Amino acid sequence: MALSREQIVEGLENLLGADRVITDEKVLKESSLDRYRKFEQTHEVYTQPIPAAVVYVNSTEEVREVMVFANENKINIVPRTGQSAIEGGLETAALNSIVVDGSGMNKILKVDKYNMQVTCQCGVPLQDMDDMLREQGYTTGHSPQSKPLAQMGGLVATRSIGQFSTLYGGIEDMVVGLEAVFPNGEICRIKNVPRRAAGPDIRHIITGNEGALCFITEVTVKLFKYQPENNVFLGYTIDDMKKGFNVLRDVMAEGYKPSIARLYDAADASLHFDWSGDSNVLIFMAEGPAAIAKATADGIEAIISKLEGVNAVDPKIIEKWFAGLNWGPEEIAEEKEEILATNNIGITTEVSGCWDCIYEIYDNACRRVLEEVPDMTLMGGHSSHSYINGTNMYFVYYYNVVDCTPEEEINKYHNQINRIICEEVIKYGGSIVHHHGLGKARAHYVWEEYGSSFYMLETLKKAFDPNNIMNMGTLIPIKHNDKNPWEF
Amino acid sequence: MIKILGSFKIVPDLDLLAEEDWIADEKNRVDVSYVKTMWNCFDESALEMMLKLSDNSESFGIELQLDAVTVGGERCESYLKTLHALGFDKAVRIECQEELQFWPEMTAGLITEYVSRIGGQNVIMMGRQSADGDNGKTPLLAAEQLGWPCITQVIGIEPVDEEYLKITNMVDGGVCTQVVRVPFVLSVGDAPCSYLRVPTLKDRMQRGKRPIDVYTMAELGVNSRFRDIEQRAVLRCLEPVNRDREGIVIEGDTVQEKAAVLYRDYLKGRLMKVERNFQP
Repeated sequence: MALSREQIVEGLENLLGADRVITDEKVLKESSLDRYRKFEQTHEVYTQPIPAAVVYVNSTEEVREVMVFANENKINIVPRTGQSAIEGGLETAALNSIVVDGSGMNKILKVDKYNMQVTCQCGVPLQDMDDMLREQGYTTGHSPQSKPLAQMGGLVATRSIGQFSTLYGGIEDMVVGLEAVFPNGEICRIKNVPRRAAGPDIRHIITGNEGALCFITEVTVKLFKYQPENNVFLGYTIDDMKKGFNVLRDVMAEGYKPSIARLYDAADASLHFDWSGDSNVLIFMAEGPAAIAKATADGIEAIISKLEGVNAVDPKIIEKWFAGLNWGPEEIAEEKEEILATNNIGITTEVSGCWDCIYEIYDNACRRVLEEVPDMTLMGGHSSHSYINGTNMYFVYYYNVVDCTPEEEINKYHNQINRIICEEVIKYGGSIVHHHGLGKARAHYVWEEYGSSFYMLETLKKAFDPNNIMNMGTLIPIKHNDKNPWEF
Repeated sequence: MIKILGSFKIVPDLDLLAEEDWIADEKNRVDVSYVKTMWNCFDESALEMMLKLSDNSESFGIELQLDAVTVGGERCESYLKTLHALGFDKAVRIECQEELQFWPEMTAGLITEYVSRIGGQNVIMMGRQSADGDNGKTPLLAAEQLGWPCITQVIGIEPVDEEYLKITNMVDGGVCTQVVRVPFVLSVGDAPCSYLRVPTLKDRMQRGKRPIDVYTMAELGVNSRFRDIEQRAVLRCLEPVNRDREGIVIEGDTVQEKAAVLYRDYLKGRLMKVERNFQP
C-alpha cells in the first residue's frame, strides 16, 4: 500500500534528519513546477500535484538512501539542482513526490590543470566554477544563458549547451566522466579517460537522462585555456533569413570554428538591438590562440564580403551586448513584475534541423503560429548553435494573455505554439528539442521524435527504473491524450 | 473634446551597461551609444495611464484623443510606431540630434511650441523626471510656459465629461482627488501602473504602419543656438555603487554548527546585554 504524505516525510526524516526535509507549504508549491508554466508560476497558481517534501542531500550516500527508500515504496522522485528548467522537467507529476535537491553538494573536488579536466559535485553553480577557473586562466567553455542559475548536475542531466558551442560543443562534448545513483541504489562511476572504445559510450545514458533514469552526483568536464584578449567580434545586418542560414552553413562547411555563430531574425533582433530595424542580424565571435582567432575572423569576413545585402556593424556593439546576455535572479524577478502588469509573456522553444530544412521549419512555424494562435505580440527566433550538417532554431515568442485564467493559459497559448513548432519540425525531419530537454511538455511528442528508436529509450527506462519512480512524465509522458496531445 | 499629449523620452537602459564601462571618454562623457534604449520609466507610466483612461472613457461614451510626442532622432520611431499600434492618434517626433540633457527649458519649449502651433492638445502628460538627466523640471516648465496649472505626483486619472478629468495625486501626507477643468499639465511619478501594455502583431499591422509626424525645430519656431553640453555640465567623478553584501554568511557544515556560531558570535552578547538592562 502506498505511503501517506506523513509516512513519506517521516521516512525521509529518519534518513536525513528533520532539518533537511522541507515541508513548508510555499516551498512545496514552488517546487511543483518550473518555468514551463511561467504564467501559472507568476500568478502563484499551482495546478500540479504538490510534492510531499523537498529534501536536501549532501552526499552520494544520502542520495542512495533516498533513492532506495523511494524505490521500495514506489514514490516519484524529481531530481534537481539549480532549478532553471523551463520544459516541465521539474514538475511533480505524481501525487506525493519527493523533490531531491542536490544544490548542497557544491564542492569542486579537483582542478586538474595538467590533464585539463575539473571534477565537481552536482550542485556546483557553473558561474562560480567558471569564474574561479577564469581567474586561473582556464574555462569550461560552457556558457548557457542560465549560467548564473544552473548547476553542473542539471546541466548534464538536460544535455545543455552554451553560447560558445560552435567551438566547444555541447555538454556531451565536455563531459569526461560521471557518477550517478540509480533507483535501486547502485552507484555507478564512469572513469575519466580521453576516449575509449570499450563498448557503447555509457556516459550518454546519464547525459540527458533528465532525472528519469538516475541522479547525477558528480561530474568531470574538460578544461580549456581562457584567452579573452584574443576574442574577435563580427556583426552584420542581412536582408534575408535564408541567406543568413546559408552564411552559417558556408562558415561551417568551409571548416571555420567560431565560438559564436548566430543569426537573428528581425523580430527577435528588435528585442536586443535598436539599430537592426527590419533587418536580420548575423553575429560571430572567434576565439582561442591569437592566430586561430584572427584566421577564423578573416575567413568569415571573406565569406560574407562576397554577398550582397549584408552590412557590417560596429563589432563593439556586439561585444557590449553579448556581455549582458545572461539571465539571473534579478531578471527573473523583473520579468515576473512585468508579466503581472501587462499580461504579456515571452517564451522560447528550441529545435534543430539539417541545412536543407531549417529555413522551412523556421518560416512555416512562424507563419502558422501567427495564423493559428491569437494575441501574438512577437514571433521570431534565432539560430545560435551550428554544426557541419545543420543548425538549431530558437523560437522566441510573446503573447498577451486575454480572456482566460492562469490555469487556462497553458492550453490556450503555450501548448498550441509548442504543438505547431513540433508538428513543423517533425514534418521536416528535424529534432523537436535542441538543448532544453524534452521535459514533460514535449514528451508528448516523444514517439514522433524517436520513431523506431523509441524502443531503445523505453528499454532503458524499464531497465534502470522498473518501478517508474524517476521523474514520472519526463521523457515518456503520463496522462497522454492521443487525440489532442498538446492538451495536458 | 479632451486631447491629451503624452510626452516621452527614450533613454539608454543603464542596467545593460557593465560596471567596467562606467568610464568617462575623451569628451568627459559616459558612452551609452552601445546600450539598447527603453522608455523613460515615468513616461511609460504616464502613457499607460492615458490608455487606461481611454479604456474607461469609452465605457462612459466620452470622446478622447490620445497623442504622443518625443524629442529625438530616428531611433525613437519604433517607439512611436508602438504607440500608434496601441491606438494613439498622432505620433510626433521633434527632430533633434543634439543632446538636451540638463536643458529642460529647451525640451519644455519644444513641447509647448508644438502644442500651441500645431497639436492643439489641452492636456500634457509626462513623467516627472528622466532616467538620465534627472532634473525633474520639464513638466513644471512646460506648464509655466503655457500658463497652465501643473499637477504633480499623479497616480490616477478618470473620465468625468468632455471638459473635466478626475485627477488623483500624492500630496504631503496623503492622496488628493480633484475634478479639474482642462487645460493642465500632469506630472507622473511613482504610479501604480508602470508598464506599458504590448500591442499585438495584428495591431501593429493595422495601425502601426501609419507615418510618424516629424517636425524640425525651425518649423516650431525654435531657433535657439545650441549650447554645447560641456557648457551645461562637466563630468568630474564616477563612483560605482557599493555592492558589498549587506548580510554576513555564516559558514558551517551543519545547521547545528551554523546556529552555534550565530549564537556565540552574534546573539549571546546581545542577549546578555538585554538581561543586564532588564531590571524587574
